[in-house]
Amino acid sequence: MATEILETMGIKTVEKRYAPSWRRQWGNALGWLAIMAAFLILAGAFFSIIGEVVVKAFPVLRPALFAKITNGIGGGLKNAIEGSLVLSLGSLLVAAPIGMAAGIYLSEHGAGRWGSALRFLSDVLVGVPSIVLGYFGYIAMVIYLGWQFSVAAGVITLAVMLLPYIARSTELAMANIPNAVREAGYGLGAGEGHLVFKVLLPGAAPAIMTGIFYAVALSMGETAPLLYTAGWSNYMWNGHMTQEPIGYLTYVIWSFINEPFAESHMLAFAAAFLITFGVLMLILLGRWMLVRSQRKLGAYR
Amino acid sequence: MKFPIFRSSLVAMASLLPLSLLALITFLTIYSWPAIQYNQFHFLWTNDWDLGNLYGDPVMEHGFQVMPHARYGIWFLIVGTVASSFIAMVLALPLAIGAAVLLAEGMRKSRAAPLSLFVDLLASIPSVVYGLWGYAVLVPLLGQHVYPAMAHALSFVPFFGGAPGSGYGLLTASLVLTIMIVPLISATLRESINMTDPALKEAGRSLGLSRLEVFWHVVLPKLRTVVIGVSILALGRALGETMAVLMVSGNALNYLPNNIYTPISSMAAFIASQLDSALQDPTNMAVQALSEIALVLLLIAVAVNVIARLILWMARVR
Amino acid sequence: MLFRMKKNLSRNINGIALLSALGLSAFAAMPASAAPISLLETGSTLLYPLFNLWVPVYTKMNPGVQITTQGTGSGTGIAEAISGVAQIGASDAYMSDAQIKMHPNILNIPLAISIQMINYNLPGLNNVHLKLSGPVLAGIYNGTITNWDDAAIAKLNPGVKLPNHKIIPIHRTDGSGDTFIFTTYLSDTTPVWSKNIGYSTTVSWPAVPGGIGAEGNPGMVQALKTTPYGVAYIGISWKKPVEEAHLGLAMLENRAGQFVLPTVANAKAAAGEMVAKTPADERISLVYAPGAKSYPIINYEYAIVSKTQPNAQVAAELRKFLNWSIDLKGGNAPHFIEAVNFVPLPDSAVALSRKQIAEIQ
Repeated sequence: MATEILETMGIKTVEKRYAPSWRRQWGNALGWLAIMAAFLILAGAFFSIIGEVVVKAFPVLRPALFAKITNGIGGGLKNAIEGSLVLSLGSLLVAAPIGMAAGIYLSEHGAGRWGSALRFLSDVLVGVPSIVLGYFGYIAMVIYLGWQFSVAAGVITLAVMLLPYIARSTELAMANIPNAVREAGYGLGAGEGHLVFKVLLPGAAPAIMTGIFYAVALSMGETAPLLYTAGWSNYMWNGHMTQEPIGYLTYVIWSFINEPFAESHMLAFAAAFLITFGVLMLILLGRWMLVRSQRKLGAYR
Repeated sequence: MKFPIFRSSLVAMASLLPLSLLALITFLTIYSWPAIQYNQFHFLWTNDWDLGNLYGDPVMEHGFQVMPHARYGIWFLIVGTVASSFIAMVLALPLAIGAAVLLAEGMRKSRAAPLSLFVDLLASIPSVVYGLWGYAVLVPLLGQHVYPAMAHALSFVPFFGGAPGSGYGLLTASLVLTIMIVPLISATLRESINMTDPALKEAGRSLGLSRLEVFWHVVLPKLRTVVIGVSILALGRALGETMAVLMVSGNALNYLPNNIYTPISSMAAFIASQLDSALQDPTNMAVQALSEIALVLLLIAVAVNVIARLILWMARVR
Repeated sequence: MLFRMKKNLSRNINGIALLSALGLSAFAAMPASAAPISLLETGSTLLYPLFNLWVPVYTKMNPGVQITTQGTGSGTGIAEAISGVAQIGASDAYMSDAQIKMHPNILNIPLAISIQMINYNLPGLNNVHLKLSGPVLAGIYNGTITNWDDAAIAKLNPGVKLPNHKIIPIHRTDGSGDTFIFTTYLSDTTPVWSKNIGYSTTVSWPAVPGGIGAEGNPGMVQALKTTPYGVAYIGISWKKPVEEAHLGLAMLENRAGQFVLPTVANAKAAAGEMVAKTPADERISLVYAPGAKSYPIINYEYAIVSKTQPNAQVAAELRKFLNWSIDLKGGNAPHFIEAVNFVPLPDSAVALSRKQIAEIQ
């Protein structure tokens, strides 16, 4: 890494016929320094946060965590792990098709007035605080529709929150594919659906996946919208979509950290650890799958 | 011509997104309508929030049942929200661009991949954990060491001098928000840099420009729309962030910050912290006033978007 | 208006919602009778730890019942007990007269007694129990007493060398029973406070330069720990973290003019004075009790329960659990109550609570 950066800083330029001016060399060096500093600041923050979570979670990371349900101030996190997976996957199943459809529409037909209106509304939706979505879900679904605290209410609330992120990352990813690819597709007689599914989506997949993983991470890290919709349960989910509350990991972080017992604090940090590393696994898995599928497809880039 | 099945189903699916927002806006407007009528416009520019005597008997005021002494004014929340989010975005943009350039241009792909995980993982940390980190690590460090030194050294700069406070305040909230939104900007930017037409970069390099110069003069201008688009997204995220802000902002009530170290409160955090007490108001006016705050926050998000679009439009005209 | 509309429509929509839910989860159509009765408790974060100690023990003895506990906040607890979403709403504060008038079939049942500490972070003085009074605390929180060496504080603490430093008052920003009883104490002792600010789970705190709002009791402990010259009110359950952080603990002036510490004995003395005054619906403030030994800031911790439950089995399980929870051999046994530093319910209050519990049908 160091040699590459030295090279880009212009240290080896003696051998080149064209030597940049001193000012440009200094500018370059300063630029790279600033960039390294930016990265170091982020890495510092990252290690400080992760270090805090790992150190505090380490003493409780034992198999019982995955085998037992939450019981009072202790026990395990089996019910919360199950609930987090159900809620995240559920909200992704609802949000991904809608969000990606919106993103595809924006990138392929989004130049007109409708496109800008959609883009505009999508950006506004990002600014809705999650607690407001939660309260909306509470009034609309938990009380008005009589669903009580339930999986359905939690999933739909989370899905609304994820929509704009998925839409925006899909749009940006699709827009980055050169137009020549589309022309080639249409030139070979492909329909629009065919072109989108067989050519554009696979090409845009890495960036879309980044966006979706960000969305999953977000959905797993949220507490406020779920508190008033999914509720919380100390027990395993019984499969009902309505009438039954469900547990999730962020609840454990949020409320067990508020208890005066050391044991519940450790459980809270264990939950934070599981979420962070669960998402890490997801990202790794996603990348691995992507590399494989791209090898198979043969990327056109 | 054949009926465009794909196009119509695409539009039908995509329309669910604006519909959900419209449902939300309709709900908020109907729900907060009594509060909007009762509070009128001084709601926006008075620093006067008081749920009133929740244990008193409701009184009639201007034709509405409210608790005695109840008053709702949120100017301090508007200032706190906009200031903290704006500072966070100003700090996050260079950090995110720096990280994206380093990962996309500064090193080989095989080395960049594991390092980019750092940045992506920052996005996976729940906001409660950011809040915990903020008050356990950041607040003592900043409040006891950094801010006093900063306030002393920068006393001549407006808003940087004065009382350095306790560490809970505007700048701390902005810093935590910064770390939270960097991965959002950086991840998208990195993908976009990687996707920029390689021919462009090669052309720049062949002119004798260094990699950094190619990025600055060739790639970045091409990505202007991406940068602005993703920044709006990040700003929206910062505006709506709840838990982390609640835990480090100092939660000022009814006063404005006089420097960057003063406690503030944001609209989203305020809704979360006041909802529980508001539910005790038998006249329901308190909850309605909170949903009016949510409506104002939505309008601010609209304003932010309009301004960003104006900037883009002016850039194109020029 | 919206509320009424909601209630009328909800019954019709219930059916549709259920149908669609069944469609979504066809595989999960289980017979309801075989499942154990499930109860939902939600509300006060101060009572939440105690419920979390109770439930595992209780459900082990009674396998036919499942109890889920949620810590959401007292206001939410009351609201969800009223709406029927939760069977037990936990609350640090009793419901107001106006609320009771609107919802006359809701019971306020005390389950235990909680205490509040006044803590401070004064470098060098944290091992001294400073004497503070209601008017002095009111002065600190409304900004009329700004320095630790103010004459009003010095007068209460002769011989203590108070620092010449600005006081940083820390208050709860979320709606909280702690704020409710603290501001009740300030209102009872200080007419100016009562007139301008009053008491509630959240109040319009006067803007004191440097003052901080913190989130939850852990936020209060953390803020006080990192803020020298701060003062804060903290629930007694956090006694251990407060002691570990070496923070100061104040003696408070009671109605008899004595300065007392928040010990269990002093809280029991106060409860003993107030229990005879407790009305049949048990909605009463225990703050600022008479008696020379009475600690002035204590309160009943309530279960907010609707008299009318969806069916007889739920009502029966609910009565059984609540009766167990206030029993000295059950939920009020020392090993539960001492774990959160609460005070058990006095006998005559237990009798009143049992009478109320019997009304649940």
